[in-house]
Amino acid sequence: MYDLFFQMFNDRVSLSLVDQDIIKAYLTPKKLKKRQYLLQEGDVCKHLAFVTKGALRSCVLDENGTEHIRQFAVEGWTIADLFSFLTEEPATHSIEAIEDSELILISKSAHEELLQKVGKYETYMRILITNAYISLQKRFTSTVSSSVEEQYEDFLKNYPDIVSRIPQHMIASYLGLTPSTISRLRARLAVKKEN
Amino acid sequence: MKTKQTIAILGATGNMGSAIAKSLAKGNNRLLLFATRQQRLQTLISGIQSETPNADVEAYDCPTSASWEADVIVLAVPYSAENEIASKIKDVANQKIVISIANPLNDHYNGLVTASDTSAAEELQKLLPNSRVIKAFNTVLAADFTTPVIAGMQVDAFIAGNNTQALESVSELVRTTGLNPIIAGDLSVSRTLEQMTLLLIQLNMKNNYNWLAGWKILHN
Repeated sequence: MYDLFFQMFNDRVSLSLVDQDIIKAYLTPKKLKKRQYLLQEGDVCKHLAFVTKGALRSCVLDENGTEHIRQFAVEGWTIADLFSFLTEEPATHSIEAIEDSELILISKSAHEELLQKVGKYETYMRILITNAYISLQKRFTSTVSSSVEEQYEDFLKNYPDIVSRIPQHMIASYLGLTPSTISRLRARLAVKKEN
Repeated sequence: MKTKQTIAILGATGNMGSAIAKSLAKGNNRLLLFATRQQRLQTLISGIQSETPNADVEAYDCPTSASWEADVIVLAVPYSAENEIASKIKDVANQKIVISIANPLNDHYNGLVTASDTSAAEELQKLLPNSRVIKAFNTVLAADFTTPVIAGMQVDAFIAGNNTQALESVSELVRTTGLNPIIAGDLSVSRTLEQMTLLLIQLNMKNNYNWLAGWKILHN
């Protein structure tokens, strides 16, 4: 249940077995069926969710009620409305399972206690939140200054193993494009590769 | 809360389990019902669906998978079955709210089988050290869920536990059943709550309340 979580943890910060046991006591195992929500916008985000199996997406609604996908998370990724989790303000994002999924949740209170108790947990979280900030800024910059072709290639680089798992219309929503634009992009990239 | 809460009810076909299931199905909850009697479970689910057409309810044949998927677990099995079921859900109930509704009555209904310095809830907490065990619904009789107002007064439902957040979440659940939640204290107060039910049951048998009775604190 916890193998992948601790494997990813140890890849970044190596943990003693004692620390591992302390952390384990604070984790919440959780399953979600496809199309179920972990969080709906308007509620406070109470957990960080680490994915051990399956796939989730987080999205925001615009004023016309259209959904825009902000992030995907598959095995080994962590997903949350970090803003809401950290500030305890209502979430602006909804998080939904797009496949049957298994998660390891860290509640806000468990997170606070672990930060105090286990120094290596604090280091791990610093790395995680730093990376989240870096990818947020990257994504923000690329939507303004990269061509759609570059954005699509970036997407393939960031999510190499999920392109085949996720319906094209969701990838289009993530990139802010229409599904037909994605089809044309794919065709163009295929030609480019052949040459 | 907009996000649906997933609640596993283990022992869902008993008197209390089915009353709690019917009641919670009316709220914004997804219910995972586990029972060993599959036939009765199917009948219960059909009953819930006809009473509450938009109910989100599913049958489970394994307490572990139901509890793994759940946010909150209601243990609606008799006290004598607590040990066995706790060992099956221990790992997947880590950090989760586990509601103990058990009253450890003896066979003659004239005493409790637990020692005076403990309770069914505290014994459960020992079996599930990393879960948030909350005592709730034990002071309420099954019929109170369909009639939460008796003689013009809303029945009180006492809650005990050691975690403030968990107590608040369970109070919210109690509210959706139409009963009046009262946080009585930490988990050791379960000893009193379990004794209160013993008295309520004894008085019910003595005075023929017809199993529709409850506790009410009168105050100004």
